[in-house]
Amino acid sequence: MSKKGVISKALLLAVLLLVLASGLAFPSCQTARSVPRGWSGVSVIDEALFLGSMEGKLVAIDGSTQQRLWPDVPFEQKQSGGFGCAQGTQAVAIYGTPAVTFELVYLTGYNGKAYAVNMETGALRWVYPREDELDPIVGGPAVLGDRVYFGSSNGKLYALDAATGDKLWEFESGDKIWGTPAVNGQTLYIGSFDKKLYALNVADGSLKWQFETEGAIVATPLVYDGAVYFGSFDRHLYALNEADGSLRWKYQADNWFWSRPLANDGIIYAGSVDGKVHALKTESGEVVAVFDLESPISASPVLAGGDVIVAAETGQVYSLSINPRQKKSLVNLEDEIYAPLATSDGVIYIHSADDVLYAVDARSGATLWSLELESE
Amino acid sequence: MIGEIWDLIILSPMINILIVVSGALFNNFGLSIIVLTLIVRGVTIPLTLKQLRSTKALQELQPKMSELQKKYGKDKQKLAQEQMRLYKESGINPAGCLLPMLVQLPIWIALFQSIIRVLAVVPEDFLKLSGHLYSSWPQVFSLVPLNSRFLWLDLAVPDRYLLLPILVGGSMWLQQKMTTPKTGDPRQQAQAQMMLWVMPLMFAFLTLQFPSGLALYWVVSNLISIGLQYFITGGWGGLTAQAATKPAGADRKYIKRLTTAEEKEIDYADTEADIGADVGADIASADVATKEGARYQPSLRAMKRHPKKSKRPKRR
Repeated sequence: MSKKGVISKALLLAVLLLVLASGLAFPSCQTARSVPRGWSGVSVIDEALFLGSMEGKLVAIDGSTQQRLWPDVPFEQKQSGGFGCAQGTQAVAIYGTPAVTFELVYLTGYNGKAYAVNMETGALRWVYPREDELDPIVGGPAVLGDRVYFGSSNGKLYALDAATGDKLWEFESGDKIWGTPAVNGQTLYIGSFDKKLYALNVADGSLKWQFETEGAIVATPLVYDGAVYFGSFDRHLYALNEADGSLRWKYQADNWFWSRPLANDGIIYAGSVDGKVHALKTESGEVVAVFDLESPISASPVLAGGDVIVAAETGQVYSLSINPRQKKSLVNLEDEIYAPLATSDGVIYIHSADDVLYAVDARSGATLWSLELESE
Repeated sequence: MIGEIWDLIILSPMINILIVVSGALFNNFGLSIIVLTLIVRGVTIPLTLKQLRSTKALQELQPKMSELQKKYGKDKQKLAQEQMRLYKESGINPAGCLLPMLVQLPIWIALFQSIIRVLAVVPEDFLKLSGHLYSSWPQVFSLVPLNSRFLWLDLAVPDRYLLLPILVGGSMWLQQKMTTPKTGDPRQQAQAQMMLWVMPLMFAFLTLQFPSGLALYWVVSNLISIGLQYFITGGWGGLTAQAATKPAGADRKYIKRLTTAEEKEIDYADTEADIGADVGADIASADVATKEGARYQPSLRAMKRHPKKSKRPKRR
């Protein structure tokens, strides 16, 4: 083989590999995979808004002035080096919506750590675990009383002392936990990729009952009027008796349920990635209405002024009502929406996939303000 | 638009097939990838066979190359033409060796995209998986995310024990070694050795970067290639010293004819003019042949076509 031939062949192979690498969106100095960005929702306390940005920062905003309450708090994780890549840091993706008490803001990160930050100053109070990290945390924290609860991709649910971050107990499921726990009274409800919904005693993490579906459970459960409602990847929405986990009814949609449902006035509204909001009677599961939004729904809806506000992934926001039955288009943000919606005083807060925070009037659909969270 | 076509034709079918096969094979995604490899290699078997025949023919031509290199090494232009002609006569398309790899490139990309979706590596990718699932196949909804454990591997991430890069590189080296013809030319031999190492090392490096599931595909695919090469080309090829020293029957005949032709002073100028049209008709092939490192070759076909011409005295 001539030298020219070798070079040509090597060039051809190089081009082939370049095409392969670019086709796979192969980032440098990392293993080839997509980069997690996060989809934190907003927590509202009075006029203060707290959320995790896609730059891995906890952001606190005064809703009335849109000014920062304190400088953004960055969360970073070490990025492994090797193969000619220097060791560095990388922003932590934040998927869970922060939980807020009167004193602290709780946050979970995809780096497998939970944080508590002083609500007044933004100063870090504690981090769990102090050394190392858990597997990625996708669900958000739930706070009740003096405890904070969250699940990890290592399959465990953790209960920590809210003031100190000390672990009180843990419960191990059979697979990843990506959902946010729901706590009602003395019981905590959490779904797992092992297809089960668990009801645990908040006191010690002991199992009260469990219910097995045929698909993974990511959606956060809703406790309403003596029943637990949650969707599964087996395309069913389930209603279980809160006391013993027995099945009340189940309802089949056309695709997964990813988001938490919402209940109002005896009707449960569950958005599915099949693009529809299924409105069912809470008692029987009987269909009241099906609203077709023609785009997957993964953001949990909210209730504002008696209407259900729901966002499709495409950025179209709707207001749904049963009496009269109508689907009203509020606004098209033209920006993808995955984060759970939040509301306060007739304003809907939406964190878009482009890392923009929108404040939308729940009645008129007018965009009151929008704020790009990306640092300048 | 292109993205939609890609999803419809390649990605969605692959995702659903991988999920269903995994469900049928004890929820074992590793076995599912192996089955996918078998399917892809099965579908592309005509291309593979063509490639193998080309490889074998190239190996068999190697002694002729050496002979002609010695004889016509100085006239490069003529060398290229004769080389191309020889390839055509032998039914070899040197570019054919790359075709099975080119065909598999979209499969690699789709497999990578499938892996990061079905194994729930990153939430955004996993959520997008819902849009790929076939509503007419109800079981696919419940089966995901798939189990990423296979043997010692987590199929979603590179192998932390570095065994897989060694397997990928080693199997690729073995496969290439079988197809690398041995030559008597030390310079050529050195270049062949370099090529023998570049690809395996490059893929071993890629294995360190990509999810193990993709590397598993590469290993199984390489093993299939080695098996096919062994059975179709009838042995270990370039792995054994025999291939270099003992020309095949066809080669021996050819060399004998060549020697006879040399003795009788073949009129190459005449034969070249005779096939000039053929040369011009396939510039691309000639180019490839040149890139492949063509050596001067007398025209076997021309000799067959004009046996009498070869007996005429040389005009030059």
